Amino acid sequence: MAQHEVEITISKTGEVKVHIKGAKGKNCLVYSKWLSELVGKVKDQQLTSEYYEPEIKARIDVEQDLRTEE
Amino acid sequence: MGAVLILTPIIIGSWPVITAAVAGAASAMGLMVSESVKEAAKESQSDTEQSVEVELADSEVLAESMATDQQIVLTKGTIQLCVKRDERGRCSVCAKGTGHSEAELKQIAEEFTQKLTQCFVYDKVVRELKNKEFQVVNEEVMEDESIRIHVRRWMD
Repeated sequence: MAQHEVEITISKTGEVKVHIKGAKGKNCLVYSKWLSELVGKVKDQQLTSEYYEPEIKARIDVEQDLRTEE
Repeated sequence: MGAVLILTPIIIGSWPVITAAVAGAASAMGLMVSESVKEAAKESQSDTEQSVEVELADSEVLAESMATDQQIVLTKGTIQLCVKRDERGRCSVCAKGTGHSEAELKQIAEEFTQKLTQCFVYDKVVRELKNKEFQVVNEEVMEDESIRIHVRRWMD
């Protein structure tokens, strides 16, 4: 099992900083997309070393899991 | 490490959703929801009363389930804040009060819009995290008044 962690900081002005940990490769982008659609516009994005590590599991599972219900 | 994102919020919601965030922001700033909303809103502006209006640029208040001219009036001392949907559908905050400069009123209106934005984003994020069955590891309000939420989930 893989542990995915997300640290969300909402500043006093409402700006949001998100730190995604444990999600490797494109799984990480799935979280990024989900959170940016939820909150608003992406002002800045930095991929860290973990992004470039091989994915442990299929991205499709995370995508299906995070899909917003209509 | 994964990724680090900085997001600028967009406030889009129905009037009931916006009012929930307004109530949260009002409580955090010690503002009282005026019981005599209609009377307060209809009070005429005196000669010495200043008035400043601040608009939430990235906002849209959906007109559904909302009556025309619906607004929320908040008070703190001699300051009155009126939150409403403007002609363009955006959320706007009008601050007024006697004995306060325009700069003071603008400052409180801007502080309120920031707190309103923070409350709106917090409510939306927490609701969605709960829906997606994230486990909350920690949640705290920092010294700089930011809110930090740490969540995790396990994937097979």
